[in-house]
Amino acid sequence: MSDTKKVRIFMTGVGGQGTLTATTLLAKTALSQGLPVTSGEIHGMAQRGGVVESTVLIGCASPKIGTGEADILVGFEPMETMRALPYLKPGGLVLSSTEFLPPLSVAMGQQECPTIDDIRKAVSACTDKVYFMASQSIGLKAGAVQAGNIAMLAALCAAGELPFGPEALAETIKANLPEKIQAVNLKALELGVKALEA
Amino acid sequence: MANPLLADTPGEIHLLLGNEAIVRGAVEAGIQVVTCYPGTPSSEVPDTFYRLSPEGKYYFEYSVNEKVAMEVASGATVSGAMTLCTMKHVGVNVAADPLLTLCYVGAPGGLILLSADDPGCHSSQNEQDNRIYARLAGMPVLEPASAQEAKNMARDGLLLSKKHGAPLLLRTTTRVNHLRGPVEFGPAPDPGKPEGFKRNPSKFVPIPAFARPMHLALMERMEALREEAEQSPYNTVSGQGDLGIVCSGISRAYVADALDNAGLAAKVSVLNLGFSNPLPERLCLDFLKSASKVLVVEELEPVVENELRVLAQKNGVEIEILGKDTLPRYGEFNVTMVENAIRELVGEEVLPACDCEMPELPTRPPNLCAGCPHRGTYYAARKVFGDDALYSSDIGCYTLGLLPPLKTADFLICMGSSISAGGGASKVNDKPVVAFIGDSTFFHSGLTGIANAVFNSHDVLVVVLDNRTTAMTGHQPHPGVDKTVIGENDHPLDIESAVRGLGVTEIRNVNPFNQKKTVAAFEELKEMKGVRVLIAKEPCPLYARRVYKKVSPQVAYVADTCNGRFECLDHLACPAMYKEGGKAAVNPILCNGCMLCLQVCGHIKAKKRGS
Repeated sequence: MSDTKKVRIFMTGVGGQGTLTATTLLAKTALSQGLPVTSGEIHGMAQRGGVVESTVLIGCASPKIGTGEADILVGFEPMETMRALPYLKPGGLVLSSTEFLPPLSVAMGQQECPTIDDIRKAVSACTDKVYFMASQSIGLKAGAVQAGNIAMLAALCAAGELPFGPEALAETIKANLPEKIQAVNLKALELGVKALEA
Repeated sequence: MANPLLADTPGEIHLLLGNEAIVRGAVEAGIQVVTCYPGTPSSEVPDTFYRLSPEGKYYFEYSVNEKVAMEVASGATVSGAMTLCTMKHVGVNVAADPLLTLCYVGAPGGLILLSADDPGCHSSQNEQDNRIYARLAGMPVLEPASAQEAKNMARDGLLLSKKHGAPLLLRTTTRVNHLRGPVEFGPAPDPGKPEGFKRNPSKFVPIPAFARPMHLALMERMEALREEAEQSPYNTVSGQGDLGIVCSGISRAYVADALDNAGLAAKVSVLNLGFSNPLPERLCLDFLKSASKVLVVEELEPVVENELRVLAQKNGVEIEILGKDTLPRYGEFNVTMVENAIRELVGEEVLPACDCEMPELPTRPPNLCAGCPHRGTYYAARKVFGDDALYSSDIGCYTLGLLPPLKTADFLICMGSSISAGGGASKVNDKPVVAFIGDSTFFHSGLTGIANAVFNSHDVLVVVLDNRTTAMTGHQPHPGVDKTVIGENDHPLDIESAVRGLGVTEIRNVNPFNQKKTVAAFEELKEMKGVRVLIAKEPCPLYARRVYKKVSPQVAYVADTCNGRFECLDHLACPAMYKEGGKAAVNPILCNGCMLCLQVCGHIKAKKRGS
């Protein structure tokens, strides 16, 4: 196990966003490349609008990522990206959506969300390897809002920190997703890679 | 094509959830009977068996509660069937009565109790460490740390249990249940038919005269199992060095990664205990003698730590044993925490703590879903009783009624306690008591509470929140449901008849989305004394969509006349609603069309979905 380069990916989002589907696809992609992979998820009451946290670890025994341990942080919602920053290793890679899903207290006007600029600033204080993208809009452009998560995974694969690229993810999508949603997700993959380059 | 989990395809590798891996392990052992009560983090084990049951070669049931699940499993294993019984950690409290005696009686067909413990309380009311139950009951314990081990230990545990006739505890924790990893399959032979019951009262009927020798036999069995633990491939020693680490369960994964990160793998010796009860004493003693100092890494209680201290003391081994004085006795561990504990012991600098400054962020607490019928019931209860009643709550999604603005949970103990604890409170308070219990929880342990409340003349208004399913844990069926994802319920039980049969005379039925009638029912029942029952019946919208294929044709919208008083948001806190430019608004994607908000504010209207 110790001869594989360890990569710890922490993912976070809001229940209902498809975070766990994305996690499993990424883990399956790693497995398809013959890598020792473990993933984990915490989703007790997530269906009810709570935070979903999941992990994909390559070359590790543990399914858990503690504070300061993540090489990569993927935030499917910007405020959750900010909340999860303590998990990031100093100088790690952050990939985040820019589009908010406000929690109830914000929707009710009792609390205020930080602005996207606040979030950019907080992330920049921890690392300079940062990519932001409007993942839901990209998902909608591809044909389904949930496909935005696949766009982010594709960008992650293209960012060069993983031992495989977006082609491997495309193969996993073809092998694992129902045929009728493959085209949308492959389109999202393409748009995600482009968004990284932009 | 058979589902991969059931197919006899040795050598294949699949990425499985820990809970799915347990299913595969049981199939490889030749499982014949599976019983359960669902509960996070155990639920995917029975749910997978349930989903596969039309093509599986086993009998499966969702039992009404854990005690019943354990008893059904007992009857199966004494009849020679290889049996698995699954539940979450607190479920074992419910099943403890049959469990402790079943360990006397034994499990001729083999039996694993899966206890899914929850350090960190991800979805539970406490953190109890069920390895202690195993010591109390006299059960061997296997503790997996990976998906592969979850599969192998389920299989080997069942075979070991059958070999010794010993009920065995497969103790997982949330991280193991909900991790995913590659699992290499072994053969999955046809289990054939159970051997059948062989009459032998002195073995199977624990009257005192028979129970005394059974206890002796149990102790002998545990000594035979200790020998198995000494030889078990799940108990291994690796590395070398003066510092010894003893670890069990998922902590083994944290220790492995910590040593790897710190580059200390060759400088520390590790005793991995996957088969942790009975303690392999020779193995442990040799390990203690080889080290100058030992750190025990186990989440929650110092179970192995204390056993090692006893072992050392008995054998005159003078060695420093560290554990809970170094690592916490609550919550989960992680790699860095374990790494720093080891670094400190070997005199290396510890890793710096994360110094990311984090401003206060709005929290994202779980909330009752948009269109959840419980919101209607709680809104009406609050309207009628306000803060003047004591609200006795129970275990389920509806516990979320705790949060403002609904605030309808004042105390909560365990499954079914709403009725009985509510009854107790009614005896010593002048305020009215309103108890809320879900339909699945009602069948789990509400029936006895009703009987007790009627018998003892408690003054309690019981509200059965009947959403036609076990919503919290993933929509499992219970005796009251009429339809499930894989077919009809042949014998749906009627809650009203059950309550009437238990002696309650004042019963009202409402649809909680009809506010006028629900409020009227609460007002009527408020004026009465004794045990009264309100049944608020309307399916969980997530379940209705999946099982009844029912989606409301309408959604709510806020008319331009909205005057920005926000009573809708302030009183209902529906996640589909938000403020926009001084007015309320409804997100049509999240709106489930329950139309409760229309009854709260005249400025909210209905329109055709998608229009």
